Parts: sequence; structure tokens; C-alpha cells
Amino acid sequence: MNINVAVTGLHATDNPAPGIGVVRCLKYPDGWNGQIIGLGYDVYDTGIYDEDLLDHTYLIPYPNQGADRALNRILYVHNQQRIDVLIPTLDSEVATYLKIKPELDKAGIATYLPTEQAIKRSVKSALYDFCQSNEIMTPDTVVIREPGQLEEVFERIGFPFFIKGQFYDAHKCTNREEATKHYKDLQRNWGLPMIAQKEITGQEFDICCVGGENGDVIGAVPIRKIGLTEKGKAWAAVTLRNRELLEFTREIFQKIGWCGPCELEIMQEDKTGNLILLEINPRFPAWVFLTAGAEQNLPRLVVDLAMGNSYEPLPPAKSGVTFVRHATDLICPLEYIESLTISGELHY
Amino acid sequence: MEVNFKSEVTLSESGFLFDHSSGLTYTLNPTGQFIFRALQNGKGGQKILSQIMDEFDVDDNTARKDLDDFIQQLKEFGLIEQ
Repeated sequence: MNINVAVTGLHATDNPAPGIGVVRCLKYPDGWNGQIIGLGYDVYDTGIYDEDLLDHTYLIPYPNQGADRALNRILYVHNQQRIDVLIPTLDSEVATYLKIKPELDKAGIATYLPTEQAIKRSVKSALYDFCQSNEIMTPDTVVIREPGQLEEVFERIGFPFFIKGQFYDAHKCTNREEATKHYKDLQRNWGLPMIAQKEITGQEFDICCVGGENGDVIGAVPIRKIGLTEKGKAWAAVTLRNRELLEFTREIFQKIGWCGPCELEIMQEDKTGNLILLEINPRFPAWVFLTAGAEQNLPRLVVDLAMGNSYEPLPPAKSGVTFVRHATDLICPLEYIESLTISGELHY
Repeated sequence: MEVNFKSEVTLSESGFLFDHSSGLTYTLNPTGQFIFRALQNGKGGQKILSQIMDEFDVDDNTARKDLDDFIQQLKEFGLIEQ
């Protein structure tokens, strides 16, 4: 059976969204037996013009325009192309797709998402409390819900700390001036709440994982980032074989009841060697294509899980596999831009 | 000489060492490769010293210093237990 998969998050510039990596996994190693439908937000989302990866592109409304509009547009696309599986890849989309999941199910569009409860436990503003009450180590954190709370951060956490937006952006603050500036920028871009998290000195590891419905870890590929951009995004990383990290991942998944894809950000503190959970991002990471290289193609696994198909247990992720991110230019004929601007869709 | 390696490591023929647990890589010169393989094979300190002297045509003091320095570096890089 041909499976049509729709994927969001296709804008890939200096802070790439994960969608292109997800599509490349689906097509790895020898193509995809079905159509790949790209769902973009803007005519200049870069990845929507990759005709080697996509069969169709549709523009969809931004998540802040409401779940109803998103649903209507998805159902329109479904009516045109038949979407069998939808993989959202942006943090800010998860709430929307959880909300419309019953209607998507009814229409025959399968998803494989975390539960609402797992999201409530893992959002940045709730993670500290959840970790505290479940004996998972996490940095000292203040959730900033009101403007005056920066003072509390200075007193309780001290410098240096990271200030993070609800969904995106993180800035290191080493003094009051920096903290105030980053606070204002984040408030303007993403609003409140935001969090201030004590800096941990150590080695950072990321893990791309997929959880099953019982909170078990079905797939997990740990990496160490080797090269970082100015925004702290990896442009090179290597896969690991690290039992401690996998045990920590299993513990987190069990306690939180995680189902679906996610990226864990973990620090191993230099001073103590302790593993400390920084964040749970409820979607694939931008470097997800490395999971295919490590012989755990997690997006393909998610399609099987969403469809309710049986799947082969994955082999342990192969260690020592490296990715380097390489920017390339796509040529877009004027007709492509015209088609997306006028009708919001493009067919290759 | 028995040392405990902290995690799985792979040393290639070229002297490229990969720590599977941390993702860190190192480059070992021929002496380092020789000692590293001897340690992995569980050879005793005296045996390693005599093999270094034979293999690299150095005296006892030089061999001992090379071995001690190398083990110290392995500890500092966290590759063997302190």
C-alpha cells in the first residue's frame, strides 16, 4: 500500500526546522512508496521548493491562527491528496494537532503524538516541578510569569543562567544588563511565560527518541554535538553508544509516560558526572536524518506506529556516525512562487 | 598492569581513537598505539616496559616515563578510571 505522508516545519535556514530531515529519512535509502506532501507557512519557507523531496506543497495557517483554521486547511489538503499520516515537527504546533486529533482520526489521517498529559508535564514551564517530584535531576529553574520576577531569578539562581522562551530561543545571561535585554526580546517575540535555568557546566548530549504507548523507549539515537552555530544549533554531531544515557532516557519516558517522537537535551555535569535533564522537545530534532545513518530510521518508525503497523525491533543505534550540515541553494522558477502566492499550493 | 577503561573505545590501525560513550576522538602516535593495545590486552606493567624497550629501542627510564605519561594522559581525558 502506498502511504501518503504530510510533513510540517520545512523552513531550513540558519535555524532549520526538522521537516526536511524527516522527509529525507522517509525517502532513505531508496525512495518512498507514496506521496510526500509538504505543509509550509510562508511562500519563502525554503524547503517547500525542494522538488526532489516533495510531491506537493500546501501553505497552512500559522498555529496562532487557531485550531479550526488549521483543521479546515488540513482537511482541504486531505481531500485533494489523501493524507495517510501527518507528522508535525514544530514545538508550537503540538497543542494544535492534539486538539484536532479526534477530527483527524475521523478523517483517516493518522498521527503519532505525545499525550496531552505528557505535554503538560514536559513543557518548559512545568518540567522543573515534574522533575522535582519524580527524582529526575534538572537545573534550578524559575518560571517567569510576571515582569517583576527577574529579581527572583537574580536572587535565587544567580549568574550565569539561561533565559528561554516558551517554545524557542535561549540566551546565556552573565549580568543584569544582559538578562534584562534578553528578557525584553523574548517577551516581545514569544510572550510569557519564559524560564530562567541555572547554567550547568559539563558535556551536552542530545537524544532523538520515539516512545511507545506504554512509555517504553522504542528507538533512541544519542549524539554529541561537535560544531555549533552562533545560535547553538548543531552543524556537526556524532552518534554515541552510551548505556547511562539510554537508562536515563528510559527512566524519563517511564515517569512522564512519553509516547511519540522527541528530543531530549541532557547535560553530564563535569563536577559530579550526574546526568541532568535540560529540556524535552516534543518533536524530532533538525538533525533527525542522522537517525537513518545510525540504522534507526525513526521517522519511518513513526509512520508504522501511526498506521498501527507491526514493526521490526530496531537494532542498537550505530555509534561513530557523523553528520555535517551543508547549505545548498534551490532554484525556484517564478511560476512556483506565483502558484504558492496565488493559490497556496504547488504540485511538482 | 591492569587499567579499567571507562567506556567502549575503538582504536583503528591509523591511530584514530573513538570513545563511543562521549563521542570524543583522539590521535595516538605509534608509541601511544603500542601502549594502548598492550593495556587493552591486559598486559602487565613490566611486560609493557620491556616491549617498549624492544620495539622502540629505548632505555628503561625512557620507556617508564613514556608509559607513565601516557597513562596519566588517559586518566586526564577520562578514558581510564582514576
